[in-house]
Amino acid sequence: MTKTRPFLKSILFTLLFILIGLPFIPLILSSVSFGWQWPNILPESFSFRAWEYVLLGSSGTWQAVSVSLLIAFIVTAVNILLAVPAANALVRYPLRGKWLLEAMLFAPIVIPPFVAVMGIHLTFLRLGLTETVFGVVLAHLSPTLPYMVRAVMISYNTLSIDWEDQARMLGAGSLSRFRHVVLPHLLPGIAAGASLSILISLSQYLITFIIGSGQVVTLPILLFPFISGGDPAIASAYSLLFAGIAILTLIGMDAALKKYYQNKKAGAENG
Amino acid sequence: MSSLRIINIEKQYQQTQRKSDPAFSLQPVGLTINEGEFFSLLGPSGCGKTTLLKLVAGLLQADNGEIWVGDANITAVPPEDRRFAMVFQQSLLFPHMTVEDNVAFGLKMQKVGKKQRLADAREMLEHVGLKGFGLRFPDELSGGQQQRVALARALVANPQVLLMDEPFSALDPSLREEMRELLSRIQKQFRVTVLFVTHDREEAFQLSDRIGVMSEGTLLQVGKARDLYERPESRKVASFLGLKNSVEGIVAAGRFISADRSFDFPVEETIERGPCHLILRPEVVQLKILKEDPLEDSIQLSGVIQQLRFNYGFYTGTIQVGIYLLDCSFTSQQAEGLVVGQEIDVLVNKKDLWFVA
Repeated sequence: MTKTRPFLKSILFTLLFILIGLPFIPLILSSVSFGWQWPNILPESFSFRAWEYVLLGSSGTWQAVSVSLLIAFIVTAVNILLAVPAANALVRYPLRGKWLLEAMLFAPIVIPPFVAVMGIHLTFLRLGLTETVFGVVLAHLSPTLPYMVRAVMISYNTLSIDWEDQARMLGAGSLSRFRHVVLPHLLPGIAAGASLSILISLSQYLITFIIGSGQVVTLPILLFPFISGGDPAIASAYSLLFAGIAILTLIGMDAALKKYYQNKKAGAENG
Repeated sequence: MSSLRIINIEKQYQQTQRKSDPAFSLQPVGLTINEGEFFSLLGPSGCGKTTLLKLVAGLLQADNGEIWVGDANITAVPPEDRRFAMVFQQSLLFPHMTVEDNVAFGLKMQKVGKKQRLADAREMLEHVGLKGFGLRFPDELSGGQQQRVALARALVANPQVLLMDEPFSALDPSLREEMRELLSRIQKQFRVTVLFVTHDREEAFQLSDRIGVMSEGTLLQVGKARDLYERPESRKVASFLGLKNSVEGIVAAGRFISADRSFDFPVEETIERGPCHLILRPEVVQLKILKEDPLEDSIQLSGVIQQLRFNYGFYTGTIQVGIYLLDCSFTSQQAEGLVVGQEIDVLVNKKDLWFVA
């Protein structure tokens, strides 16, 4: 039994590597290749042309990265502001037809975004919100909010009203209760929802393309033409950059959360 | 003097969606709890005692009635401004705060400076026997310790009234005993007014100055433990206090006659005529020593021993008299001569007879 465990572990690990790690190898090779054609297993010649174009050239990559991140963070912040009260109401209050409200909230996950975006586009055209970052932010809310609400709802489900009652009896008003009792409990849920929200916002192509009308340039907007028939080397370089940014953002958020908890603990031990 | 007065507090719950369980309602309750008094609400689960406690706390809105502390009407004051404290069944310590911060929380809400409130918190932790535990987190403490912290947290801000909702029922029996002693000592030390809810009569008897017995949303009787036990006003109160010996009968023409006529003895004129129940406490049923004549002031009953059980240093015997089964207490010495199935005579002093409607 004890011997099969490490064996099983290594098999699983290998499988994971094949599924996740392996696709990156041709991607990396492709990004530094110069004319890589069938039936060659490895590229015939290497060059950093693609990376030069992506990182240094006048491609506007860094501009796109910052617009992507800006949109993702604003979307996430708005999501948190919307999701916390929504989750509170959905979990705590006995509403008639609650299932209908939930169905509406979670519909964007089920219904293809394209359907909704066509309608949104028309409305935004009338309101003059197309081609603006603000419009894109609004449009990104619909596919991301459901995940945030879901995550925060689960946190609320495990928070018994007794905790708040206890804080009340100790003299805490509604703001203090939220700050000292509710928020610390919700934080893991908020962090989970925020990660999803950032990732989904970063990877939106269609919505950004339609609402932004090519004027709001995010990383996927830059990436897409190269994938759909342009230059595979540049497409690979962009894909790697995109993956790198997504991973860095997640790691950064995780580190911030860990640091928050460590500070709490350290502060308590020192104080 | 700041006594706590509950004036005709009333609460009606809406019918739940399942038609089978009836709507619960708390009948109007009037009660005055004196400053520094330890008052317990005793009753089976679902009798409304926790509802009453939450109404006093302000966590529930009453339909009718008022709550006063001293000469201030606090009915409309939100719970956070009442300066009450509450200890729940679970300790409900905030998991992301140290024990010290938990205890100091109430003072923090009152905007007491950090140094002062931590000093007060440490002092209170010492009172509950947890000196040096201040920097730990709640999950590093045992259940009993957590409940001590909860008690310290409730007391640190010097509340007007301490409300407790079955605070020890989640602990194991030996720990419960210890916590009762601690609570009793601290309550006397700080002279805090306590409103305590429990379904455990032993707990209520041990701790309380006065007890209110509740059942099905009604406050049945209020009194000192001994008065309740020796003079219950109704059969419900008697049975909840563990007085199971209840004999149905009728008082007429100066005699009590049970329904099956196995009890038939003269009673005093002061006892109201009509159908009633005779309540016999187990310890007033005395074994008759052979050849001794029944005394003037006693009644004699004859029965068959159905069961003998050893019970913490004494025996509980079940005797069948007529169609009734009576529990009575025997000392180990008395019980030695007895066997199941034996016919015995028992005596009850007339002053220990108690009739309820």
